[in-house]
Amino acid sequence: MDKELFHIFRNTPLGRETLMQSVHFCRKVGAYPVIYIPRSTKFLMYFENDVVQVDLDESYLSDPPTARRHAEEIVAEAGLKPVFFEPKHFTASTLPDIPTHYDYMCCPRSISDLSHKIGLGYIGPRVRRIVKSAHFPVLITSPAYKPWNGITVLFGGSNNAVKALRLGIQLCRQSGCEMTLFTQVEKNDPDHYEEVIRENNLEAEVAKYVKRWDRFDSGTLETNLYEVPHDNLVIMGAYGHGVIRDLMFGSKMERIQATITNNLLIVGPNYTARL
Amino acid sequence: MDRIKPWLKLTRWRFFRLDDRLLLILIAVIVGNCSGLSAVALNTSIDAMVEWLQPLRHYWWAFLLPAAGAAASSIFLEKIVREGAGHGVPEVIYAVSRYGGLLRFRSSFTRLISSCLTIGSGGSAGPEAPVVISGAAIGSTIARKFGLNERQRVTLVGCGAAGAISAIFNAPIAGMVFAVEVILGEWTTLNIIPIAIAAVSGTEISRILMGNRIAFTHQVFNIDFIDIAASVGLGILAAAASILLTRLLRGMSSLCSRTGGPTWLRAALGGCVVGAMGLALPDVLGEGYHTTRLMIHGLYAPGVTLVFILLMAKILATSLTLGWGGSGGIFAPCLAIGSILGLTFQRALMALWPGANMASEGCFALLGMAGLISGMLQAPLTGIFLIVEITGGWEVILPLIIISVISTTVCHYFEPASFYLKELIDHGHLLRPGTDARVLTDLSVPELLEKDCIVVSPTMRLGEFVDIVKISHRNYFPVEDPETGEFLGMVYLDDVRPYLFNPAMYDAVVIEEIMDTDVETVHPDDDLPDVLRRMDEKRLFSMPVVSNNRFRGMISKATLLDRYRRELAVQTS
Amino acid sequence: MQLTISEIAKCLGVPERTVRRWIRQGRLPVQRIGEEYSFSQAALERWARERNLSFFPPRVDRASQQTPELEDLQTVMRRGGVFYELAADDLRSALRAAADSIPGLETAEREDLYQRLLAREQLASTGIGKGVAIPHPRNPSGNTTKRSLITTCFLKNPVDFNAVDQQPVFVMFVLLSPSVKTHLHLLSRLTYCVRDDDFVAFLKTRPAPADFFERIARLEEQLVSAGY
Repeated sequence: MDKELFHIFRNTPLGRETLMQSVHFCRKVGAYPVIYIPRSTKFLMYFENDVVQVDLDESYLSDPPTARRHAEEIVAEAGLKPVFFEPKHFTASTLPDIPTHYDYMCCPRSISDLSHKIGLGYIGPRVRRIVKSAHFPVLITSPAYKPWNGITVLFGGSNNAVKALRLGIQLCRQSGCEMTLFTQVEKNDPDHYEEVIRENNLEAEVAKYVKRWDRFDSGTLETNLYEVPHDNLVIMGAYGHGVIRDLMFGSKMERIQATITNNLLIVGPNYTARL
Repeated sequence: MDRIKPWLKLTRWRFFRLDDRLLLILIAVIVGNCSGLSAVALNTSIDAMVEWLQPLRHYWWAFLLPAAGAAASSIFLEKIVREGAGHGVPEVIYAVSRYGGLLRFRSSFTRLISSCLTIGSGGSAGPEAPVVISGAAIGSTIARKFGLNERQRVTLVGCGAAGAISAIFNAPIAGMVFAVEVILGEWTTLNIIPIAIAAVSGTEISRILMGNRIAFTHQVFNIDFIDIAASVGLGILAAAASILLTRLLRGMSSLCSRTGGPTWLRAALGGCVVGAMGLALPDVLGEGYHTTRLMIHGLYAPGVTLVFILLMAKILATSLTLGWGGSGGIFAPCLAIGSILGLTFQRALMALWPGANMASEGCFALLGMAGLISGMLQAPLTGIFLIVEITGGWEVILPLIIISVISTTVCHYFEPASFYLKELIDHGHLLRPGTDARVLTDLSVPELLEKDCIVVSPTMRLGEFVDIVKISHRNYFPVEDPETGEFLGMVYLDDVRPYLFNPAMYDAVVIEEIMDTDVETVHPDDDLPDVLRRMDEKRLFSMPVVSNNRFRGMISKATLLDRYRRELAVQTS
Repeated sequence: MQLTISEIAKCLGVPERTVRRWIRQGRLPVQRIGEEYSFSQAALERWARERNLSFFPPRVDRASQQTPELEDLQTVMRRGGVFYELAADDLRSALRAAADSIPGLETAEREDLYQRLLAREQLASTGIGKGVAIPHPRNPSGNTTKRSLITTCFLKNPVDFNAVDQQPVFVMFVLLSPSVKTHLHLLSRLTYCVRDDDFVAFLKTRPAPADFFERIARLEEQLVSAGY
């Protein structure tokens, strides 16, 4: 119960789903939500080497008098004590600073566009920047509340994928869930993946928690993603390759999130996983 | 591709990382050039806009021009680029104080555009603050791209500011001094060299693009003893004008925030009034360099009464433009007001003692400018060097120093914080290097946490507790619920010491009965100065840190002293 | 030499969090290459020296750094040895005889030890009653011995030690220890044994070394289980 999840509350039905999702995550992994009810549509997040201005859409400010009560109800229903965040520092009077020391942060797929535009379209540029700079994994919720009872780690053998695997093991330990590994075999040697696990001394843990390892030698990533269990939290690493490659080949994160509706926990390049 | 990348990485780092200082100097050249370019761009576009609007000035509805400009700049800031309010310099100092100079990339152009709209249309504001924040944001962005650490990043932010001020005034020393005195507040060998380089490259780029023109061409003044005596009086007057301007600005912005309504409408309202004043006195419009130039050359014709009215009008116009939401800085209006003040003063003296052998009115206009800059920014060195450089003459240096010092001192007496720093100091955000606030902010509560406390359970008997006391190094014992892990209270050894030696109580008393449940606790996110103040108020020597109802550790003054000393040693060298 | 962040934190005596912040702020002389940091110990030491900070590099030999375990009474007593039938007729000669019996000392050291034992006796008697005395030097840290020892001396004739209960002393345990901590540890165990009347009666029989050590070992077991 020591980990904190930062959640920006949107006082709309969509925001309710998102908060319920956050609360579900917290209960599963033994964290507690820290809720921010925005007063202005902008805020800043100062990371170690970047500052991100997040411009929220107007729906985050809708009906302020009921916002706090709504949030309290949802959190209390799950048996947690609501903790609210009040910004202490302001860069300018309408520009509060949000601390970035949290253990997780919950984001909708897009934070700056109106909610009716969000289908399973794309991950907004701000959310991408947050993922890229953050020390914490970012929870990207599914559009509607969707409880999960298992964890799937997308394991592609890269550095970030190892971080995602570590996080997956950690969460399995805390939640008592089982893990499914999903690997789309690329040009690499088929033994490459085992080797990576061995190099990182994760064999024992993998043997303990992984119940199934789906490996696909053929088919596209999109078709194979059908095999990801629908009631699983999907953990994946992002930005393993740099901007140029993303531009040339398209971001894998983008393709994955556009295909599956599961809750995603995205591990950025600055996340340091400790077991 | 995979094989090429590490190689690229290696050469990139090896090449640059030969020496961090060399790297910083190289980057400083880039930053200085970029911020110099942005200064030139703003200057040119303001000139172009003024030129473009000139034919419209003759119509009766010309008073609407500043209104339209202010409204447009406000809409641009609010809706299009979603910038925060304010003129920017405090934001730079805030970022330097608290976040190692992290500034948003968008800041590098937003204020340039908005202030161009405001000033070009006739609002009374200066282009310097926008140029400073733009230069600073450029420096910060470049530092981020190179993955530099905070100290280097802060230096580059200073480089950006220095390059901008140097370029806009063609005054490299003033740029350097401004960056060190106002933005960074720290003068070390590490930061002064890149800043000097940036100032030089900023100046050079503006000289290449706009020619080596000195803003106010050099005049020869004959300074006598009587002028030095007179400058004492001018210093006091300059201080009074600064205080008046500061208070009016603050009053206007609080009046504005009480008015309500959309911000662009408020900005337009302020612009309207300025425009109306401009119909009667065209000299109040814009940044006012043209008028200033005339005054220094002694070519400004109107008589002393009219000049005095102009002085008041300029002060009012500036506070209306900036206080009601226009975008721009205070620097240029200060220079304009200062020169008008100097002129008024000289003419008034001449009227009183017609035979006095005093220096020309141009000289007093210069002195007045230094007085206002020193008073408003409370940065005497910046004022002195700026005036010396933009006039190219060293003869005025003696009265200049006197007037700057007097103006700064008097202003400091009435307004302890300068215009740039007021808000920051009020919120405790001004953290100059090497100060107590700086050290305490860096040493956060989690860094001082002592975790070697032994947790006891509320159902423990005193006898068992005595055994724990034997092996503990501390005088404080947190009590936690063994099932939920919730923090229940503390047992202070001092409170229970007399009973520890009474074996008869060993089985009779449980911890629950002797623990202190009404404990002052600290949250890990609390600011250390607040924590210390609470400790002093309650006369505590240490406090438990609790978050989410869990005990995290203790924080004590003894550890703080040890760590404070180390931190100070690390920070001040 | 390459150091990790946690090692640097230990060397400087600050938490890892602070070291990370110093790196972020660019205060430590650290090269950052991509995601990795590289530290040079020499540069760090110079850096710390310039700032008047203490920097204790991690010892290569971990074993020597650790404080020695507190030893058993039995081990220490075996090291000191047991001596019987010491001839003495007053306090001074008893101490002199004891100082002469202690194994492994130079002659000059014996004289010095005698003086210090005497000084301690003059301060207050070490006769703790029941005919037992525990002579020890006034300041344990002044001892030349590297390892603690207890020499057991049975006197031929009981000697007046001006003990708390005025009983003449028939056995002395001379206690030498290198530090205050071991001194207190041994003293506390020894007094625990002497509190046992059976043990004192057993001592009066002047037991042979083997029996004596066996008894001590048994008492010590009791004492450990009692939580001392």
